[in-house]
Amino acid sequence: MTKTTTGAMGTQARVFEPSPAQPAPVTSTGAYAWLRENLFSGWLNSLVTIGVVALLMTLLPPLFNWLFFDANLSGSTQADCTGDGACWVFIKVWLQPLLYGSYPTESLWRVNLSLVLLFGTLASPFWLPKHLRNKVDIAMLLALPFIAIIILDGRLLGLDYVATDYWGGFALNLFLAAASIILGMPLGFLWALGRRSQMPMARSICVILIEFFRGTPVLALFFMGSVMLPLFFPEGTNVDKLLRVWIVLTLFMAGYMAEVYRGGFAAIPQGQYEAADALGLSFWQTTLLVILPQVIKVSMPNILATAVMLFKNTTFLMIIGIFEVLSTAQNALTNSNWLGGFSTEAYLFVAVVYWVCCFSMSSVAAHIERKLDTSHRS
Amino acid sequence: MLKKLTTAAAVLSMGIAASAQAGTLDDVKERGMLSCGVSTGLAGFSQKDEKGNWSGMDVDVCKAVAAAVLGDANKVQYKPLTAKERFTALQSGEVDMLSRNTTWTLTRDASLGLNFAGVNYYDGQGFMVSKNLGVKSALELDGAAVCIHAGTTTELNLADYFRANGMKYTAITFDTSDQTRAGFESGRCDVLTSDQSQLYAIRIGLKNPSNAVVLPEVISKEPLGPVVRQGDDAWFNVVKWSLTAMIEAEYLGLDSSNADKMVKTGSPEQQRLLGVEGDSGEKLGIGQKWAYNIVKQVGSYGESFERNVGKGSPLQISRGQNAQWNKGGLMYSNPIR
Repeated sequence: MTKTTTGAMGTQARVFEPSPAQPAPVTSTGAYAWLRENLFSGWLNSLVTIGVVALLMTLLPPLFNWLFFDANLSGSTQADCTGDGACWVFIKVWLQPLLYGSYPTESLWRVNLSLVLLFGTLASPFWLPKHLRNKVDIAMLLALPFIAIIILDGRLLGLDYVATDYWGGFALNLFLAAASIILGMPLGFLWALGRRSQMPMARSICVILIEFFRGTPVLALFFMGSVMLPLFFPEGTNVDKLLRVWIVLTLFMAGYMAEVYRGGFAAIPQGQYEAADALGLSFWQTTLLVILPQVIKVSMPNILATAVMLFKNTTFLMIIGIFEVLSTAQNALTNSNWLGGFSTEAYLFVAVVYWVCCFSMSSVAAHIERKLDTSHRS
Repeated sequence: MLKKLTTAAAVLSMGIAASAQAGTLDDVKERGMLSCGVSTGLAGFSQKDEKGNWSGMDVDVCKAVAAAVLGDANKVQYKPLTAKERFTALQSGEVDMLSRNTTWTLTRDASLGLNFAGVNYYDGQGFMVSKNLGVKSALELDGAAVCIHAGTTTELNLADYFRANGMKYTAITFDTSDQTRAGFESGRCDVLTSDQSQLYAIRIGLKNPSNAVVLPEVISKEPLGPVVRQGDDAWFNVVKWSLTAMIEAEYLGLDSSNADKMVKTGSPEQQRLLGVEGDSGEKLGIGQKWAYNIVKQVGSYGESFERNVGKGSPLQISRGQNAQWNKGGLMYSNPIR
């Protein structure tokens, strides 16, 4: 637009004045454009969008009603579940067994203490001063399973003895997974080293071990541990069932880790060995100071994936009658006071607990991977 | 070197022999604890509540043996076992006895190195139909769709029964009992078949239990009972007579509430069971008051039945075959004298 002004000469000079910018067409900015671009970019996409929205509209309200609005939360018996919604009373009543098994209530602090120790140790690289990390961390990790056993068992500390029959719930899944991962990782590294060794004896033993524990389903291993193994012991000797399972899980983990490390070893360039040799480092110095750190860095994604897999495998303990979280849920479902069909609630609870844990593990893993990513790639 | 090894082997094998020779009864007394194999969860038979306490018909047998041998029904260490593990756990000595809804069959008795010490529940496969079908007998089920738990002997029994009676059926199989129930509830089948004790448990889980009825026919025999290792007769006797004492107590009209009174005023038979007269305990190698402890702490068979699966429980199973022999059932106790 121009503005007319009257000049001294009486003529009218026209001063340029830019017109304000037009707003962008509604079709290219804002929510409308986003919708148009992402959801309605063609007739097929529009159709799919409408279909999905319609589906959500029909599915979500009943789901939320069931989950929250019609759900029952107060009370302590089956009879308190009157509404059409979920019966969270069931989860509430069984929460302690689901999380802790039948560990005596007055001693629950021992389980909690062990859990705090576990997470404290796992998080120690983040809070320990740098110069202590390598030395203290590994020692702490390797000692942790045994410290936790001593605390939970209680006899050595003069506390009440709690037999392994009473251990259970989700805490048991966590402990078993952690204990077998912690011991399986170094053991797997030894096996992987043995597999690369020039010594035929060491090599063949390691290959047999690795292939056996990797080639056998964990379910079959559990059965062997719980059903076959006792038959070989002399009558009267009893190796605790949980201990047998722990050993089986550790060996299983070691077999998988050995293969993960093997991939890592393959990725280390020959020059690294030669450089270490040129510096006059011994075999163990080369392995522990030069090769191992790089192997771990390279195989980090696989290590973490294997760890998550092992954690999920602990639910198989159900089939050999150990009351971990899933079998506790099933036991609760067969209790004659809770026969009202609460399986959806029970399995949903277990799924959510597991998902939360696995998701957190994955997030931590992603964080570690980013931190370790000092790759040679430019 | 070789000599040393052989000596070590000899010492080791002697140690093994020694531990194998000591009887289970002595082991249990020495340990002060009975190790009893139970189911990982079966409504009314062995179940763990949210406090971690075990209860049920099978659990009561464990308790009875502990009461008889150790004088305290609570001195039991329960070992939850799955169906696949149960016999190994017993054979390997991990448990002293098995009380885990185990059917007494010839194969098991004769080939597994086990002995069945009696029957604490006569079960059998039955049918549940929805009430509005108007069916009164299983023989009216020709052409029915049957919901069934896959891969169990139930499937075979069902096929036998329908073929024997010249009837046709459509089997709709499910993997878990939860799914089977859901299938029945949604009307995918007219009939659900399973062991009778389980039918009652499934029935409670229905949204509207009164809409379903359990038919009277029982098409298979499933006598369930406690099991011990073969070749340890002293222990076998203890378990067998502990169960018998529960049944005998009901027959004689004894229960946990009147046991103390009957010690003083009971009939000769009652007093003999309660250990006032006779020497039954001495013959079994356990205390004289063994049966008194069972009756006082665990109760008679009838009490156990009503408390766990009968009128006092949500299952509401009727006595049926499990009534005393003089009331039309099969529970018969050999004389304790």
